[in-house]
Amino acid sequence: MRRSFPLRLFHPSYRTQLVLLLLPFLLGVFVLILLPMAATFLLGFTDYDLFTAPRWNNFANFGHWLVDQLFQRALYNSAWFILIAVPLRVTGALVLALLLNRSGRAFGFARASVYVPTIIPEVAYALVWLLILNPGFGVVNLALQAFGIQGVPWLTIPFTARASVVVMWLFQLGEGFILMLAALQMISHEMLENAAVDGANRWQRFRHIVLPLLVPTLLLLSFRDIALTFQGVFVTGLLTTENGPYYTTYFLPHYIFDEAFGLFRYGYASATTALVYVVTLAIVAGQVLAMRRWFRLEELD
Amino acid sequence: MKAAVRVLFVSVGILLALAVVACGGAPPTAVPTNPPPPPTNPPAPTAAPTPAPVSTSAPAGLSGEISFYINEGADEVEGFEQLAEAFEEQHPGVKINLVNIPNDDEFDQKIAALYAAKTPPDVININYRRFGQFAIKDVLIPVDDYLKASTVMKIDDFYPQVLDAFKFQGKQFCIPQNISSLEVYYNKDLFEKANVPLPKAGWTWDDFLNAAKALTKDTNGDGKIDQYGLGIAPSTIRLAPFIWAHGGELVDNVDRPTKLTLDSPAAMEAFQWFVDLQNKHHVVPSKADEATEGDQSRFEHGTMGMYLNSRVETPELRETIEEAFEWDVAPMPSDKTTATILHSDGYCISKDGKNHDLAWAFTEFANGPVGQSQLAKTGRTVPSMKRIAESNDFLVSSEPPANNKMYLDMIPNIRRVPVATTWLEVEGALNNEIQRAFYGDATVQEAVSAAIQNTQEYFKQNLTDLGSQ
Repeated sequence: MRRSFPLRLFHPSYRTQLVLLLLPFLLGVFVLILLPMAATFLLGFTDYDLFTAPRWNNFANFGHWLVDQLFQRALYNSAWFILIAVPLRVTGALVLALLLNRSGRAFGFARASVYVPTIIPEVAYALVWLLILNPGFGVVNLALQAFGIQGVPWLTIPFTARASVVVMWLFQLGEGFILMLAALQMISHEMLENAAVDGANRWQRFRHIVLPLLVPTLLLLSFRDIALTFQGVFVTGLLTTENGPYYTTYFLPHYIFDEAFGLFRYGYASATTALVYVVTLAIVAGQVLAMRRWFRLEELD
Repeated sequence: MKAAVRVLFVSVGILLALAVVACGGAPPTAVPTNPPPPPTNPPAPTAAPTPAPVSTSAPAGLSGEISFYINEGADEVEGFEQLAEAFEEQHPGVKINLVNIPNDDEFDQKIAALYAAKTPPDVININYRRFGQFAIKDVLIPVDDYLKASTVMKIDDFYPQVLDAFKFQGKQFCIPQNISSLEVYYNKDLFEKANVPLPKAGWTWDDFLNAAKALTKDTNGDGKIDQYGLGIAPSTIRLAPFIWAHGGELVDNVDRPTKLTLDSPAAMEAFQWFVDLQNKHHVVPSKADEATEGDQSRFEHGTMGMYLNSRVETPELRETIEEAFEWDVAPMPSDKTTATILHSDGYCISKDGKNHDLAWAFTEFANGPVGQSQLAKTGRTVPSMKRIAESNDFLVSSEPPANNKMYLDMIPNIRRVPVATTWLEVEGALNNEIQRAFYGDATVQEAVSAAIQNTQEYFKQNLTDLGSQ
């Protein structure tokens, strides 16, 4: 009797239930994301050093971007990083999902292996890479040596350091991989079987059935990945390359951290964070527009 | 009615869940986040920044708790714990909440957040190179009046140049705990094995280079160097003593710097000599070797003859080397003159702290004769108080280094970088150029021009900051 007591007293409508269930999340979003975001935007227009009260300085922070070489370098690095890493990550997630979307114990293990790097704590992940890429006794250089190839100090040469950070980020594509896997499993087997009966080969089935059905997921994933990458590789990059050599792996999140906490320019750092927000919002808007257009085209078909 | 109770339950649950989320989202700090000390209503009027402290002669008047933030390595923190305990024993009812944040970035982040929340550390131990950044923000209190009234310490007790490093616009802000400097840690066994004369006071750049050459070896004959003569980080605070020793200058005016002066012939020659250690003589680890194993690790493992660092590493070296080999310290080699660079941390008291008297009493204890002897015995510091530095508490120890007197002999040759609000940015830009030259990715000429150009803005900012005060 006692167990069912509360339930008998409270019969909320479906709508109320929805609202109640969503409430914690919405509150969280409001308190932890929207409020800080609004505060960041406002602080972006101030001169604030964390010690004394913020003072309005209008657009001075934004103007400072034009003369701030470190900012420009970080922005440039981040932009290049996105251009190279995002296509690789999305393609990687798709290819791995296609390869591993099968039953069997071995495939289960392989799927888990793909996901694991994503959930390793960042510091541990960075330390593992430091060992792998160590010029003297790292696995990579020892393997190269076995073939008579002289290894290089990967993390201290600008080009290879950048490439290494991309590769580290590439291995953390677990979430995208899961998303692609789910999308693949939603494609009806019948449709594929019918196509096979009609004489479509593997490639044709992929090209004309699977890929079109995956487009919404691919779009979603790409946009999400751009936003994520813009803010990602913070700890890993910091611990492996230490922003170097010569600032070649110095990305916007590092820059914002240094300005805010190392140099106490919180107002200016807020303005730069606001820039990241605006770009991210623009990307989300692009995502919505692209999805709409895609579905309209589909309806026309 | 009862439905309302239920809703209340749900809301409480949500709040709890949110609290958990908020805690989980906090940055990963390995330290207990001590709550700010409660206002303890000290007996003295709180508003007056210059109360005549009678705290030391009447310890009974002290009560409450204060926080004390340090940024130390694992082997150094114990000395500070003992210091806090000793103070608490002397003053029953008083509590020092010692918080160590070993990681520099985390330390910066935590400190910034605490000051922003107006609950700053009551006492914070900071390096003099960072001090200008804090002083300009007007978040520390000057201690001139406390110092004048103190029965434990007098201005004359300290080496003057280290007090100067914590002065800002004519006022004394922090009390330095140490007068450390850059020195040469050397592996005595390797020197003797290679028949190289041991370093001694007055040794020259040539002696230094010859020793480094003799100690750089391929010990197992595989064609690769596995013992280096010298380890030195390509950075501003390592390069500076070489520039000074050769008669050059880092900046035009140490009290009011307006530009880097590395383009003088003397400075350029010294810079070139420094870079040659890597690119011409190959007596320091190459880029790849440096990335394979860092200098300090090499020295600790007995595969590096000399290693340049300050006194701060002594506790760790004692801990890791143990009896593996004999080591000692030597002064920086001389060229046209002898020069080394000041390394010093000071106890600074936050303006927004709630208990200035207690904060001062602790600062006074930690840097008075008792505290300084105690910390010196751990090996961490070269005491800033003359009579402690000259006492056996510092000079004699059962553990290496044996040549502690060297630090005192070098004191007249200690120089320092300027106190400027943007000094760390200047160093950051200059470090980048020093690295480029050191690893052969730029000529000294190119590095110097770039450094001068890239730091212009920071010096201008410093002057603006000072002008706005």
